[in-house]
Amino acid sequence: MNKSWQLVFCGLLSVLLALTYLLFDSGLDTEFILPNRLVKLLAMLTGGIAIACSTLCFQTITENRILTPAIMGYESVYLLWQALLVLLFGLNSPLLQDLQLNFVCSTLVLLGYSLLLQRWLFSRSLQDVWQMLWYGLVFSLVGSSLTQFFQYSSSPAEFSLLSQYSLASFQRAELNQTLFSALLTLLVASFIWRQRHQLDLLQLGALQAATLGVNRALLLRRQLALIAILVAISTSLLGPTAFFGILIANLSATFSRSQSHRHRLPLAALCAVLLFLLAQLLVEHLFNFKTSVGLLLQLCCGGYFFMFLIKHRQTS
Amino acid sequence: MISVQGLTKRYGNRQVLQDLNVDFASGKLTALIGPNGAGKSSLLMCLARLLTADSGQILLSGQDIQAFSLPDYAKQVATLCQFQALQLQLKVGELVAFGRFPHSQGRLQRSDHLAIAQALDLLGLTPLQNAVLHELSGGQRQLAFMAMVVAQQTPYLLLDEPLNNLDLKHAVQLMQVLCHLRDQQQKTVIVVLHDLNMAANYADQVVAMQQGCIRHAGDVGQVMTATTLSELYQLPIQVLHTELGRFCHYFNQPEKLYAC
Repeated sequence: MNKSWQLVFCGLLSVLLALTYLLFDSGLDTEFILPNRLVKLLAMLTGGIAIACSTLCFQTITENRILTPAIMGYESVYLLWQALLVLLFGLNSPLLQDLQLNFVCSTLVLLGYSLLLQRWLFSRSLQDVWQMLWYGLVFSLVGSSLTQFFQYSSSPAEFSLLSQYSLASFQRAELNQTLFSALLTLLVASFIWRQRHQLDLLQLGALQAATLGVNRALLLRRQLALIAILVAISTSLLGPTAFFGILIANLSATFSRSQSHRHRLPLAALCAVLLFLLAQLLVEHLFNFKTSVGLLLQLCCGGYFFMFLIKHRQTS
Repeated sequence: MISVQGLTKRYGNRQVLQDLNVDFASGKLTALIGPNGAGKSSLLMCLARLLTADSGQILLSGQDIQAFSLPDYAKQVATLCQFQALQLQLKVGELVAFGRFPHSQGRLQRSDHLAIAQALDLLGLTPLQNAVLHELSGGQRQLAFMAMVVAQQTPYLLLDEPLNNLDLKHAVQLMQVLCHLRDQQQKTVIVVLHDLNMAANYADQVVAMQQGCIRHAGDVGQVMTATTLSELYQLPIQVLHTELGRFCHYFNQPEKLYAC
């Protein structure tokens, strides 16, 4: 299929699913159901764009197809932060109860973490992807075991709140923070979009890109800063999405058969939105909220990677 | 003209370039030769601004190359690196279009499309322009990268061992393309070569390096002599003059070169 038609097709499908999600079983209730669903829809769009852009750019600048910024310790820092809030201030603290305040604080914490990570780590070892992955995994492990440690010393009510935080969901999305996230994401995504040609060149390797006039050091610094903002937004808005970024990055590469960011960025974002919509529809109408979007997405990622492995075993 | 003045580079205690002074003449094809680890690639990387020297400077038409902005430098000097990314999901035409980036910033104009078509044509890749790179043979891929460098349309070309992976015919084809660029478009070409016969038969000038120093620099006839080459490579080499050109003969050595 032609690349532009792929986008049109995915776009139409998303619009169709979005309308279904908005209207199905809504009774056209403009008081509560429709506004509520519109906010969630906006959250899905924002999250989809943020995760797609951050993962694709991260994979491009690290020249690695199996990395996602989400597993570089961001998500465990997010969870650790929530656990610390519960432990230090208790369940009734405004830091936990006021979703807006919670959102702003966790975004700031994640931005701080990524600044630290970049200054301390990326300055010396961006050359070595494996070393970077190693550091990221170590931070993730330390973060999640500390979180578990705090969880075990918490009360059942606290424990259940913390477990909610550990899975992605759209239930936390509220109007103000979603609007704010959407605007910020659009702004960051437009910066990334303007650098799409330079990102394309990076796939030739750092040296060959430099001979074509790409200032790689400058590009990397800018991209890492933009990625940090996107990851902070998507994690604070939806919660941890783990391997979801890799899934949509891979899907977009498989469908478009191209590495060009002009095609892949919108395609990956649309894939993400489509999967979000499907998962949310299933959770609301098939499972009656007995499962969560995060679980469904993780199941989907797991299944995809399993198939991916089997397929590669057969071809190799 | 590219003029290298007092260029020095060291990695830790190892001095890879020791106070190099050499001029690369405009409109000539210069071959950089020498044994492994002589510093040929390091010198070329410095010329391409991919490596920063510890001291000394390089002048491009009299101007320090560090004074150029990176995008401006990419309009002056095109470089083909030694190792290319292998797993590229790119069509040949798309790769060659990357060569136009310094001029177009990714938004291709009519002049860019013309340059791409000419480069593809020169390398004989027009029938393959829609083929995906990782499905091509190593030689075809190398030619595609060469086409990208040609499409950059710079007055200076730097090539690091471009004949790697190429069979005889492709190698000769590539050297002919370099000669064509020199003759028809007055390009200055600097190329790292391991194949002495290619250097002896296609280059105008030869710069011979050894242990980070320049041992000889001059016209091909002056440098490609039996004594010079034998000393340079620490191997008895004869240079035969035949009707078709020079031939460097270093086969069937009586002396054993391995340890046991």
